[in-house]
Amino acid sequence: MLILRYLFYVLIFPGALFTVLVGWLLAGLDRKVIARMQRRIGPPVLQPVYDFFKLVGKENIIPAQANRTAYKMAPFISFVSLSVIMLFIPIFGFTAVNGVADLIVILYLITIPGVALIVGGSSSGSPYGAVGISREMVTMMSYELPFVLALLAVAKKAGGDVLVFNLTDIGEWQVMNGCMAFHWSMIPAALAFLLVIPAEVGTQPFDVAEAETEICEGPLCEYSGAPLAVFKLSTHMKMCVMSALFTALFFGGIRTGYVVTDVILFLAICVLVTLVCITTVHAVTARLRIQHLFKFYWKYVSVLALISLALVWLGA
Amino acid sequence: MILGNYIVSVFLIVLGLWTLCTQKNLIKVVLGLGIIDYGVNLLIVSAGFNEGGTAPIYNLAELARREAVFFVDPVPQALTLTSIVIGACVDAMALSIVIMIKKRYGTVDADEVRRLRG
Amino acid sequence: MIQHFPVLSVMVLFFSAFLIEIVGKKEILRNVIAFLAVTASLVMLACLIPSVMIDGQVISYWMGGWAPESGYAIGIGYEVDSLSLLFALLGITAYWLSCVYSFGYMKGKQNLGHYYTLFLMLAGASVGFFLTGDIFNMFIMMEIVTFSAVALTAANTDKLTAIEGAFKYLVNCSIGSSMMLAGIALLYMNCHTLNLAQLSAILPGSFNSTTLLAFALILTGFCVESAMIPFHPSFVDAHTVAPSSVSMILSGMVLKLGVYGIIRLSYIIFRVIDTSAIQVMLTLIGTVTMFIGVTMALAQHDFKRLLAFHSVSQLGYIIAAAGLCTTLGLNASLYHAVNHTLFKGLLFLCAGAVIHSTGTSDLDSLGGLSKRMPKTCICFVIGAFSISGLPPFNGFVSKWMIYQAVYEKAMQTGNFFYVVVTVTALVVSVMTLASFVKVLHSVFFGQLRKEHEDVKEVSPIMLIPMGIMSFLCIFTGIFYREFDRVFINSAVTSAFDNIDYVDGMMGDGYSVTYGLAGLTGGNLEFSYWNPYVWLSLFLMVFAAAVLVTLIMGRTTGRTLESGEDYDSAYGTGDLSVDFRGQTHESGDPEEKYAVFFSGEKAEYSHAGGSDLFWGFKYNWHRYYEVLQGLHSGSVNDYSIYAVIMISMLCIFMYIFMR
Repeated sequence: MLILRYLFYVLIFPGALFTVLVGWLLAGLDRKVIARMQRRIGPPVLQPVYDFFKLVGKENIIPAQANRTAYKMAPFISFVSLSVIMLFIPIFGFTAVNGVADLIVILYLITIPGVALIVGGSSSGSPYGAVGISREMVTMMSYELPFVLALLAVAKKAGGDVLVFNLTDIGEWQVMNGCMAFHWSMIPAALAFLLVIPAEVGTQPFDVAEAETEICEGPLCEYSGAPLAVFKLSTHMKMCVMSALFTALFFGGIRTGYVVTDVILFLAICVLVTLVCITTVHAVTARLRIQHLFKFYWKYVSVLALISLALVWLGA
Repeated sequence: MILGNYIVSVFLIVLGLWTLCTQKNLIKVVLGLGIIDYGVNLLIVSAGFNEGGTAPIYNLAELARREAVFFVDPVPQALTLTSIVIGACVDAMALSIVIMIKKRYGTVDADEVRRLRG
Repeated sequence: MIQHFPVLSVMVLFFSAFLIEIVGKKEILRNVIAFLAVTASLVMLACLIPSVMIDGQVISYWMGGWAPESGYAIGIGYEVDSLSLLFALLGITAYWLSCVYSFGYMKGKQNLGHYYTLFLMLAGASVGFFLTGDIFNMFIMMEIVTFSAVALTAANTDKLTAIEGAFKYLVNCSIGSSMMLAGIALLYMNCHTLNLAQLSAILPGSFNSTTLLAFALILTGFCVESAMIPFHPSFVDAHTVAPSSVSMILSGMVLKLGVYGIIRLSYIIFRVIDTSAIQVMLTLIGTVTMFIGVTMALAQHDFKRLLAFHSVSQLGYIIAAAGLCTTLGLNASLYHAVNHTLFKGLLFLCAGAVIHSTGTSDLDSLGGLSKRMPKTCICFVIGAFSISGLPPFNGFVSKWMIYQAVYEKAMQTGNFFYVVVTVTALVVSVMTLASFVKVLHSVFFGQLRKEHEDVKEVSPIMLIPMGIMSFLCIFTGIFYREFDRVFINSAVTSAFDNIDYVDGMMGDGYSVTYGLAGLTGGNLEFSYWNPYVWLSLFLMVFAAAVLVTLIMGRTTGRTLESGEDYDSAYGTGDLSVDFRGQTHESGDPEEKYAVFFSGEKAEYSHAGGSDLFWGFKYNWHRYYEVLQGLHSGSVNDYSIYAVIMISMLCIFMYIFMR
């Protein structure tokens, strides 16, 4: 029975299927809204779903120079790790796997999709892939610092004198003391986190790794057919995971008492977060260069998060 | 007198370190290592010294008569002997390496022998 | 019977070392003796696990039966508690694996008799260092280690620069051991004993200027041995140029001598670790070391030099966590020490395999080897992911504990310094990942070089140790709860509670006369992974594998099969020229399977390793100019850094500990 329950968690809710569906929804809304912002009609909201099934049906070409095993496995590792992360993120009152929902675990699990993308791009043997992975890695290094600072600020705020890394405990603290985002000292950290999300997902202006116009989608350059579909899918899943993490960390104090209403409210906040930090930023900016991206994150976003951390440590 | 020993041993250690830091000739660097060793050896021997003590060699009869009361501590001397042997080995090994450096690099200048850097 | 095992496990190594010198010309006999010696030592130490690790006994052995006389230790003793045994077991496991690897790696080299003699002396001295209960004996073992390591490094005939690395290593280690000997002399002057147990009964609580200076000097000795900043450059040089089987030992094992020394010294002998000044100092040294190590590693373009800088960085983690003086911190530190030996050994063995096959370790002149050396590639990926701390490999577990320990310390003490340490440790971790991505890309993935077309996978005798280490990396990553309970927890307990250690050596009740009490480090509570999570994770991976076979098995277009040669598949085409249609008639099917060049003429276009992260380096170029200038390679400069560090340590002790 227990196994069946975990199987349900892993495969359906809140694991693979749920993440995929929410990811598609968020991606579709993103495309629709950005089109409206640019006075276009835009694709239907279900366009990412159509794209996925179209790509799965396409021919799958593996370059002769590629390392076939790594090339084939990379997208699926990305997919698996993203579904696993969702298990650890509490959806308001509901946590699939309790007791391991640790900030550090999540921090490390979130790097795995990036590593999978890098391994895939690198194993393809393409020079565009090489440029792409170098940029992807630098992007990871860039957003890691503000990300870490924001997480530590949250942990300190929720913990006080004891170590609290557990996401469920952070959620409980928010139930008692109000959501993180409503504490003024945490607002810079929330802003920093919002700025980390587009880089993590890889949307404009932080899509230097996949820049279509200059390096032909970098690591994805050689991919086609089903593996490409899975990689695109995991980008959408990343949107879901990152906005869910933001919601759990900064709006985790909401309780309606029913799982269904919880989930619906959760989805609403996720959509809002995506629209604010991915769609709007995408619509109003142009792509950065990689050295500017690094500087942006280490200079400005990190300072934002650091202000929060310092405020929390000073007792605010 | 024993204070003099300590001063000289510290002086020798500092001299050795100064040699390591300033001398470009690798053979002088090895000599610097030797000088540090001598300073440390002097320190150890001085540590076990008792003013007016005798050599720690007694037979059973003397021990029974309680004559063996005031002697120089033998342990530091044993340590010093060991350390001298080790020091000599270090010097020998370092010098043989310097010979190899001279053969391969054609110089014993520390500024030239730095292909591993950065 | 069992109390003879510690000393026998050391003796058998030294004895076989000289035996090999006699029979040195006969290859098979020599290998058999070396293998039997390390195996015997390993078995004897493993026999001690039940009584020492599980029952918590302390095994003491007096050389020649010279037991303590009226409360003074007059003989040389061997003393084995869980801390010693943990390191000794770790050490001998590494030596066993390296020995097996050497049979394949060193085959056909000259003067192998001397190689194995020195190798066994190195092994015997390291194990002896961990097991001995006498501080002067520790010094001697350290000198033997330095000696054999220097000789093994200098004897590498493949590298012209080997001799230079060996010289710097010798000079640096000699400075360290001279300082340590001076410290030992000062200690003897004050306490009139060299026995560790007796020292740890006398010293705590009775400090004066002499013992403080002694502490600073001995700490310097161990800091040198564990390649803390600023003593690290000469170690890096030596690790770069030694034969890979020896690099693995030097980097994975010999640096642990210093770690063991620092833990033994500060936790047990002097018990100064419960003062906040020492905690901050050790953590600060560790943090700076890990940061400088990893940033320097990012700039390297030699495979082994990069790995050596990573060793420095990981040692920084170990010392930083050990300096926290919490149970969780020391637990994390020891776990990371074990893991570091495993994954760094594995990575050096992979580097050795690459060098053995291609003859070069320059990242810019390698590439695409994963098709020619798939097994080495898999081992390397496991090692790289372990050191970068990706779950579920072992590096993740220990790093996770380290972050928890450091941040817990920060919250308990309210000291913002520990927050900085946590952030640094987390950022260093992602930089570690970055530099291994660089290695992975420039050695194993990307395009194969023309001159490496006929490279072969290394022999099974070299693959076996690599396989064992990969297995251990995964094993300690997944079953860490059990591993932690058996091996690490008892070592942590013995470090925090030294009453057993003193009593076991000097006779029961000895510690009471000195009023010793155990340190308190808080209880060992940290959240473990839920086993069900692993279950679900495995299910997911299984599902992914099924997906791969379902989707990828049904390829609509034709792809090259793994064993299939390009030419035989399509008949025409000259692989050595290019993959594009230029040399073929238009309409050839193979055009589809070449990598995409956006319409340009295909050329060999592998992106080299050294400049992969220029976007990062561009922002840090001033930092790199300064730091690379400081790693000048001159033995004088390194001595100057050493002198500065020694004086800083001494001054620190006098300011904060008086």
